[in-house]
Formats: sequence, C-alpha cells, structure tokens
Amino acid sequence: MSSDFYKTSILPFAGIIIKLCRAYTNSQQDFEDYYQEVCLQIWRSKDNFREESQWSTWVYRISLNVCLTLLKKKKNNVQHFVSDSITVEETEDNYAFSDESLNLLYDAIRKLSEIDRAIIMLYLEEKSQKEIAEIIGTNPNNIGVRVKRIKIRLKKILDGKIN
Amino acid sequence: MEKSIENIWKEGFLKSDALVVPKINNLYNQKSIHIIDKFKRMFKINLIAIVAFSFIFLIASFFVGIPITGVIFFVTLSVLVFINKNLLNGLDKIDKGVSSYQYLKTFNEWINKQIAINKKISRFLYPIIFMSMIIGFWFKDAEGMPLGERLVSEILIGFPDIYLINGIPLIGIAIVLLILVLLAFFGGRIYKWDLNLVYGSVFKKLEELMTDIESLRS
Repeated sequence: MSSDFYKTSILPFAGIIIKLCRAYTNSQQDFEDYYQEVCLQIWRSKDNFREESQWSTWVYRISLNVCLTLLKKKKNNVQHFVSDSITVEETEDNYAFSDESLNLLYDAIRKLSEIDRAIIMLYLEEKSQKEIAEIIGTNPNNIGVRVKRIKIRLKKILDGKIN
Repeated sequence: MEKSIENIWKEGFLKSDALVVPKINNLYNQKSIHIIDKFKRMFKINLIAIVAFSFIFLIASFFVGIPITGVIFFVTLSVLVFINKNLLNGLDKIDKGVSSYQYLKTFNEWINKQIAINKKISRFLYPIIFMSMIIGFWFKDAEGMPLGERLVSEILIGFPDIYLINGIPLIGIAIVLLILVLLAFFGGRIYKWDLNLVYGSVFKKLEELMTDIESLRS
C-alpha cells in the first residue's frame, strides 16, 4: 500500500474503522490487529471497487466484513459455540476511553448481536437507512424498525447507569 | 436528565483520546508476505499447468500422429519445470522474520535471478519447441510416407528445378533457420512479455511497495 493511498483513501475514514473495530474487540492488541487487517483488506480490494457505491460505503462494508470474519475466526479458535445474540468477553481494563459514558455505551453495544452492533454504529454515524441497508446487505425498510428495537435494548442495558 | 445514546456517542468522540489511529508498523510486513505468497501460489499453479499441459499434449500427440513433437515437448517442459521448481525451493528459504524491506529485497534478488535463468533457457526453449513441431509434422504419416517427403515431392512437381540439400528444399531450410535464429534472438523478450502477462500485476504491486518503503526509509 502506498503511503499516499493510506493517507488519501483510508485515513479520512479511520474514525469509522476505529469505532467499528472497537465494537468487536475487547483489548488494545485485538483492536490494533483488527484495524490493521481492515486497512490491509481495503488495500487488497481497492482494484475491485467499481464506483457503484461511494468509496466510504465500500470502506464501511470491508471494515464490517473483516471485523465479522475475524470475530468468527476468534470464536472458532476458542471453540465457543454460542448463539448470535450475546457474546460478551470481559473488556481489558486499559482498553477504555476517558469518557465514562462512552465506555458504558460501548459495553452495551458489545452485548448486541454482531449485525445489530454494525447497524447501531452506522446509525450513530448518521448514515441513511438506505446506506446502512447497502452496507449490511439488507432491505432498507427493515432498518428503521431494527434501529428502534436496538435503541430500546441499549436503553434497557444502560438503564440508570448514565446521567 | 438521561443522555440519549446519540449524544453520548457524539460527545464521547469529541474527546481527543477517542479516535487515536493505531500504529500500523507491521502492515508492510504483512503486505510483503501477502504479495510474495500470492506470487508463490501463481508460480506453483503455473508449473502445475505446464506439467499438465505437456502430459496431455504428449498423449494427444500420439493420437494426432506427431509423437516426436509430443515427446520433445514433454521432455523440454519437464526440464523447465524441474529447473523452476528448484528455483522455487530457494524462495521458500527466505526468512519471513526479517524486516519487510529486507524480505522484499531478497525476493527481488530471487526474481532477478529467476528471470535471468529463464531468459537464457527461453533462447533455447522456443527454438526447440519450434523444431519439435517441424520434425513432428515432417515425420507424420501421410498415406504411407512421411508428410515432409510427400510435401517435397509435391513441391518438386510444381518447381522441378528447386535446389535441394539432402532432399529438403534450400528455401525451406533457410526459412526454418531464419525462424530459429529469430526465436533464439527474441526468446528472452518473448519470455519477458509472457512473464508480464501472467505476473505483471504482482510485479507492479511489488514495485509500489518497494518504492513506498524506500521513501519511508529515506
């Protein structure tokens, strides 16, 4: 990857990559590995980008796919046969933001299913339902209802913890 | 009042520590290994394809009646595969634990050595393949006599005063020799062209990566 490619095509989207990777990891080491793998995969796939969608959508999609793949690999490695719904590993103490509310929100997000994590983060990033659907690969009509349900679930988890 | 999750998200990420981009020191190592692994895979597939093709051609040549071509093809390509397989074994010895720059440099040296050897081989390979076709078809059975002799006798009917050397028209020998010389002369270039056709994209990526690392080092 040329440093130019990294600077112009990845770094402007580093924010969302970081946010996504954070939601699927519980330690700084895993987070750095995921981030690195996402960057590598974006670089590897750049020739496949057909400009049918925006570059940012492409980056989100790759980031999400890489995170889900790595998570699956990790699960297989530890031979955890658990349902899609709740898979919460303990988060390392030093793997936290200085903002306590954000930490609590992230902990709550990590309790969601893998796809719900992606949906809520894209929603919080103010992506339209159409874009979210495009990235996830689903029907845009379902996204609105799903976001509402996820928000209710998050509120329940966070109930009383944040003022 | 309880904050909405939207506000927690927005306010949380306004703090300076929230979006620190991790260092990607190891990225170049991974990319170097990825490119070289890709090349190795392609190289192995290419060798397997050559073996498969020469074997199928050998069998087919017996049915078509040009077994000499098939045998020469098979032997020549087997030697080519043997030499390249040995070269590939050398590639496996490159230590993946060294820095990406060193890894790519070593790989580059290997590639240059491989190209130099194959360029030399190509100067012989293409003429041998061409000659095997000529000999194969020359001795192909054509209603009880070799096709070459039959062709010459038909030429002699049309051009009875044509100059022959050992029963072969001089003009034919001259054309074949010319083609052999051209193939020997351009063999290296044909190989390079063929190489770029198959591995061009990998070489381009490799070059980009080397330039990139070199610019970071300077």
